[in-house]
Amino acid sequence: MRVFQMQRISAIALVVFLTIHMIVVHYPPFHIDFDQIIIRMADPLWKAIDIVFLFFVLVHALAGAWVVLTDVQRFSRLKRAFAGAAIVIGLIAFYYGTKTILAFQPPV
Amino acid sequence: MYTSSGFISFALRRLTGVALVVYLFMHLWVIGSVNAGPEAFDARLAFVQQPLFKLLEVALLAAVVYHAVDGIRIMVVHYTGITEYRKSMFYAVLAVSTLLVIAGGVPIIRFMLEG
Amino acid sequence: MSNPSTHPTATVRIQRFNPETDAKPHMQEFQVELKPGVTVLDALHEIKTHQDGSLTFRRSCRHAICGSCAMHVNGKNELVCNAPLKDRLDRNGRITIRPLPYLPIIKDLVVDRSSFWEQYLRVKPWLMPPADTPEKEFRMSPEEVAALNSAETCIMCGACYSSCQIVGLTKEYIGPHALLKAFLRVMDPRDAIPGARLADLDGADGVYRCRTIFNCIDACPKNLNPTLAIETLRKLAQKREAFEQARIERQKHLDEPIPAR
Ligand code: HEM
Ligand code: HEM
Ligand code: SF4
Ligand code: FES
Repeated sequence: MRVFQMQRISAIALVVFLTIHMIVVHYPPFHIDFDQIIIRMADPLWKAIDIVFLFFVLVHALAGAWVVLTDVQRFSRLKRAFAGAAIVIGLIAFYYGTKTILAFQPPV
Repeated sequence: MYTSSGFISFALRRLTGVALVVYLFMHLWVIGSVNAGPEAFDARLAFVQQPLFKLLEVALLAAVVYHAVDGIRIMVVHYTGITEYRKSMFYAVLAVSTLLVIAGGVPIIRFMLEG
Repeated sequence: MSNPSTHPTATVRIQRFNPETDAKPHMQEFQVELKPGVTVLDALHEIKTHQDGSLTFRRSCRHAICGSCAMHVNGKNELVCNAPLKDRLDRNGRITIRPLPYLPIIKDLVVDRSSFWEQYLRVKPWLMPPADTPEKEFRMSPEEVAALNSAETCIMCGACYSSCQIVGLTKEYIGPHALLKAFLRVMDPRDAIPGARLADLDGADGVYRCRTIFNCIDACPKNLNPTLAIETLRKLAQKREAFEQARIERQKHLDEPIPAR
């Protein structure tokens, strides 16, 4: 799939997920601490939502960064290297982020 | 430099996009503190919820909202091929973004002031 | 030269650059009489003939058809031969003329358009007729002509190309002018290679480099719409094979009368 399509599909997904995210972490505004967040995050469904959100936001962000860089003529020789770097960064961030989301466990 | 409403929309979209990428990775690092247990999480989140950060949060909200609404405008153009109303559509994006940022920002500021 | 003029004067600010003596461009002001019906190009001629013979610019037809005289006037690209000087003056009676942006300056208002023409040739701007050409004539329906969206009236002035920030960032981008031309050929029922054309455009330097900034539409002196052409090409590239197949079918009937509706 083209970077262009990846960017649009993830953008549509983000309209949904980022809207949900901005609402649940802000409204009504509250002081964020573990006890507050865990009320929601104890639910596996929220964990799933967060992981899907994480996936799309990484695709969109890294595809976007790649586009911004490769639009510059001087960097166009490096487009393969940038794509490789984006994939590696994306995989690491997805692994780390998923681990983070799963770490939201209610204390036993 | 060729300035036009189209250029301004593009520059803002790109600028906010890049700012959001930077924010995303800092955000992953902040939330990642939960890996070290609830206490570490609470400590780091307390740090990023001081009043100054609340103001930055409104700036972040503005970036997210503008980028998203303008991104939707671009996708509407892809889908419909509407180009005659390009200027009005951009002004509509600015208007909608402003309203959303006020609606979302006021509660954050009030929370910051009232604690 | 001293008979007092009854005409008001206009201040013409021109960006000058002489590669042999100047390190970088600078602005220079001239006073020109504002006679009725004078165009911006007339003002440039007036300056060149009577004030500074070294002023360098391109023009040919003076009738908005050759595409030589596109320049950056008051921050917008346009054909100066078609621009009334009076309408371009600000409140202080001033006009600012610069060469087309994002292109290397050769001298004063003349820019190097090599990349513009290289990208143009890249899209094979000519029509590729089918192997069996009709005996008498190719027939196109009114709808098929309408779908070309007047793209055939492009005069290759470069106003769109040099208004595009993406062109400013990378000369590897095919550019609005050449994509519009490619659109013209792809949509033309007489063209035999729409599939190959779409395949070439369907890359990072083609239709996907466009960031929908719309400057090309605003800049075009012929009111053409390169953005819409690019959007159309993107959609057609998605269904390239079906499009090519439909073209082959269509070309079996190129010489038949258009069925009445
Ligand atoms: C609802 C949310 C969002 C929508 C609808 C959206 C939409 C879009 C669209 C349509 C583009 C393509 C723009 C173009 O080709 O000119 C884009 C580009 C981009 N987006 Fe987003 N986006 C959203 C959220 C985000 C987030 C959260 C980030 C960062 C983490 C981000 C980072 C970027 C970047 C870096 C680009 C490339 C900028 C450019 O090409 O000018 N976006 N976005
Ligand atoms: C200031 C506004 C924001 C606040 C207060 C906030 C807060 C949080 C919190 C508390 C979490 C933990 C999980 C959860 O509660 O669902 C989280 C996770 C997350 N947020 Fe945000 N967020 C904000 C804005 C954003 C933005 C703009 C983005 C996109 C660029 C984003 C992307 C994420 C992602 C991807 C996760 C999953 C974290 C991970 O996997 O480590 N957030 N956020
Ligand atoms: S599309 Fe318009 S602006 Fe571009 S080269 Fe043709 S006539 Fe000039
Ligand atoms: S001189 Fe020919 S287009 Fe202006």
